[in-house]
Amino acid sequence: MKVRISAALALLLVISACSAGSTASVGAGPDTLAVGFTAEPANFDFTRTDGTAIPQALLYNVYEGLVKLDADGEIVPLLAESWTVSDDRRTYDFRLQPGVRFSNGAPFTADDVKFSIDRVKTDWSISIKSKMDVVDHVEVVDPLHARVVLTKPSNGWLFDMTGRVGAMFSPTGVADLANTPVGTGPYQVASRTRGDSIVLRANPDYWGRAPAYKTVVLKYIKDPTALNNALLSNGIDVIAQISAPDSIPQFENDTRFTVLQGTTNGEVVLSFNGAKPPFDDIRVRRALTLAVDRRALLDTAWAGRGTLIGSMVPPTDPWYEDLSGRYPHDPDEARRLLAEAGYSDLSFTLSVANLPYATAAAQVVASDLADIGVRVTIEPLDFPAVWLKQVFTDHDFDASIVQHVEARDLTTFGKPSYYWGYDNPKVRDLIASADAGTPEQEVADMRAAARTIADDAAADWLFVYPNVVVAKTKVTGLAANQVSESFDLTGLG
Amino acid sequence: MSTPLKGRTSPTLVVGAVLVGLVVAAALLSFAWTPHDPLKVESTARLLGPTGDYWFGTDKFGRDVFSQILVGARTTLYVGVIAVGVAAVVGTPLGMLAGMSKRWLGEFVMRVNDLVLAFPALLLAIMLGAVYGASTVTAMIAIGIATIPSFARVARSGTLQVMSTEYVLAARSAGRSRLWIARRHVLPNIGGLVIVQCSVSFAIAVLAEAALSFLGFGTRPPTPSWGRMLQESQELLTVHPRLAIVPGLAIAVAVLGFNLLGDGLRDRLDPRLERR
Amino acid sequence: MVVAIVRRVAILVISVLVASIVVFAFMAVLPGDPAQVALGVNATPELLAKTRQDFGLDRPLVEQYLSWMGGVLHGDFGRSYVTGEAIGPQLLDRLGVTLWLVGAGMLVALVLAVPFGALAAVWHRRSGGTAISGLSQLGVAVPAFLAGILLVQVFAVQLRWLPSGGWTPPNQDTGEFLRGLILPALSLGLVQGAVLTRYVRSAVLDTLGQDYLRTARSKGLRPYPALMRHGLRNAAVPVVTVLGLQLATLLIGAVVVERVFVLPGLGSMLLDSVSARDLLSVQGIVLVLVVAVLVVNFVVDLLYAVIDPRLRAAR
Repeated sequence: MKVRISAALALLLVISACSAGSTASVGAGPDTLAVGFTAEPANFDFTRTDGTAIPQALLYNVYEGLVKLDADGEIVPLLAESWTVSDDRRTYDFRLQPGVRFSNGAPFTADDVKFSIDRVKTDWSISIKSKMDVVDHVEVVDPLHARVVLTKPSNGWLFDMTGRVGAMFSPTGVADLANTPVGTGPYQVASRTRGDSIVLRANPDYWGRAPAYKTVVLKYIKDPTALNNALLSNGIDVIAQISAPDSIPQFENDTRFTVLQGTTNGEVVLSFNGAKPPFDDIRVRRALTLAVDRRALLDTAWAGRGTLIGSMVPPTDPWYEDLSGRYPHDPDEARRLLAEAGYSDLSFTLSVANLPYATAAAQVVASDLADIGVRVTIEPLDFPAVWLKQVFTDHDFDASIVQHVEARDLTTFGKPSYYWGYDNPKVRDLIASADAGTPEQEVADMRAAARTIADDAAADWLFVYPNVVVAKTKVTGLAANQVSESFDLTGLG
Repeated sequence: MSTPLKGRTSPTLVVGAVLVGLVVAAALLSFAWTPHDPLKVESTARLLGPTGDYWFGTDKFGRDVFSQILVGARTTLYVGVIAVGVAAVVGTPLGMLAGMSKRWLGEFVMRVNDLVLAFPALLLAIMLGAVYGASTVTAMIAIGIATIPSFARVARSGTLQVMSTEYVLAARSAGRSRLWIARRHVLPNIGGLVIVQCSVSFAIAVLAEAALSFLGFGTRPPTPSWGRMLQESQELLTVHPRLAIVPGLAIAVAVLGFNLLGDGLRDRLDPRLERR
Repeated sequence: MVVAIVRRVAILVISVLVASIVVFAFMAVLPGDPAQVALGVNATPELLAKTRQDFGLDRPLVEQYLSWMGGVLHGDFGRSYVTGEAIGPQLLDRLGVTLWLVGAGMLVALVLAVPFGALAAVWHRRSGGTAISGLSQLGVAVPAFLAGILLVQVFAVQLRWLPSGGWTPPNQDTGEFLRGLILPALSLGLVQGAVLTRYVRSAVLDTLGQDYLRTARSKGLRPYPALMRHGLRNAAVPVVTVLGLQLATLLIGAVVVERVFVLPGLGSMLLDSVSARDLLSVQGIVLVLVVAVLVVNFVVDLLYAVIDPRLRAAR
């Protein structure tokens, strides 16, 4: 009796062990592509969960919007075949693609456009939902014609529609967004294994051009070296973004792989808590900015890959201006300014996101500031869980380093409640008028805003994070620049 | 039994002592002098191989590897001393208590011991790190707590042996208090065992600290730590294997040293165990 | 005999309960609001309060503990605050992976330690024995993750004989599964084997000097069969004891090896959950790990009594 029970138990254990880790299975083949990423999505619902991991996987691949950004960052049609803008720039008329269906079979019509846009205000809980606040109402003119009326002209609104806020949902498909995404895109989520991968399969009823790869496995490997090793040992075909830049040369010298380097929208920012001393004093902020040698920082911390900037604007934005020379490396001047402000013996805590670029940059910053007599203690905070709470929500920090990946996020300096507590009415007005004015006005105003925050040393913009994609030479269609949150699989071949 | 006989000084003891001495010397030296500032970032001196100026070369921040090893020795010893100290100071009396008490108390203490044993150092360090933010201190405390059971066990088994000797039996029949017996007979006799355990546990502590730093639950940057140096070396392994080999070797030397020292001390204190 | 087993089982049960209380109490003390973690930025106070209620966080601690433990005893570890998924099934899955890793590592260790340890004992006065002894000392001094890193570099990256990481379930593709298990098992097993070798050596050495062995030799029996028959059985005692003691070390090694080889095991789940402050998951995982160690120690205790008849009689 005892023996039989223990034998049965043992058998049960063995059987369950045989399938351990099997919650998703993938077959390899010429139609399958495996792409490696570092940050795994917590779930599939980007309307309530912040962070770029989810839209990276789902935007443009599973979900589509009326418009999208192409590889050059231009707004191009997607679910909207064409559109017109009224003379007062407040009314957008979208003609929709015919014959589009959601992955659950429901047809895509203008009702869904209204549903999706209205839903942002009522059902979304992440901060980006405010981008739809400018929408007054949406009219369903006929099933393939949707009209969006804004409360005032907005240059940014159509651009924002290329991002996740513009994703189109069906009322029949929002029941369980966290686990079952229902979109119109070329791929559907077939399965996922937590801690390992997500499997996307091509949607056979897709309205547009069928993608080249029928199955795409998104593999999540947190450790940058393990990610590299996976590519080197044929475990994956593409690394979506290298996060260990010193390891890039080994791929560049290897004929099996192609390396593409471009830009992202991600500004790596050394932010100061401007709401509390000593960082409320512009002299202190300027001194710290002068003390950091950003060229050397980029070379040391990120192997020289990336672009130097002087304000919250990456080179791909229309209003970019090279302000990187505004605060040349000058430790003597930095020391003088600190003494003048009365902080000759300054020490503070640098609470950084616990990510490779941030901890590397932090060590260089600490070393540079030590040269001018400032003592810095580095506090790595798990990202996003701890950093979001401690720094972003509670504003409980002195200084921080994190990458801001949102496109065109110069606008964050117009919000006094943002975590760095920068409050300059002039900048707020410039940003508001930039959005409401003509496109030429927008460029001029945004430029002025960028210059102002640089003069104010509102933050220290260390560099623009590079986009380095490494893939087997057989994979084509990869974009060098990362223009949106999406890792666009649709153009691959 | 009672007083330890003078065993011979084996080569194991000598080699162990030398290796440990190296580590201690490195740490002490680092307080007075290092060839370069291990924290100073030098963008022009990145990833240099060994040269006259940089004996083990530099890392990706241009910092001297040799200086980092020297200062890293401090962290290693620091963690080891505190962790083993805590464990010895708490565990030994606990074990003595278990060995000298009535059966049920002794059993109870050992069950609690087993419970603590069920929380491996890594687990404790991760849990502490989650609450207080990971640092050298959380690593030390976690490793210390996790090492207590080893000392308790060793102390208990040694105490049990001592308790059954004629000296102690005589003392007890003469009415001596437990405390007196503990001080006069037990402690001197288990002292050797405890010292050996210190050495062995030190080796384990060094390995645990290295693992924790490797996982990011140990010493925070930029304080040099051999485990973190190993972790930082990973992305450059193909091109600069030296960056992993040097701290790896340092860890191995320290662990080997303490293990050999422990073995050698065991030989010296109790020649019956000579053959082990 | 039965009394002894029942007593041990009782102690095990009590230990598990106490461990669960310790784990729960620890998590309760942890700073951070799970509701905040779940909702992220921009959560309104009303939404936070409602979420806290949904998670049952507004109940008294004792009630929360009982509700949690009650669920656990049914296999229900609750739903993660961060991902919303059920923790139990994932735990089981990941545990399976870790068990394979630890098992394979142990196997490698035994395969190395038993012959080498025995040899080292038999040759203990010769240079071969010293060499093995020395190598085992070196093996102990090398951290498992260093072994792992070097093995990956050589066999996966340079030679490309084996995968650098990842996991294939055994029932899906046995060949890939085995290939992917080799390097991680070696990383764990080499170090563990070095530790075990020393124990086997000393145990066999003990046996070599035992009276009955000398008697057997003097009777004209060749030493090696005698060694086999009596010695190894004796050597099994400390080896089994050590296996139990080493389990905690093996778990440490497994966590790190899972990181190096990207295996979806319990160790990596623990690290990920802590990173994400997914407290309910951490609670569940820690409990499972702790209980696993307690159970193994319990089993080792029993085996100890079974293997060594002298000790069994003494009970």
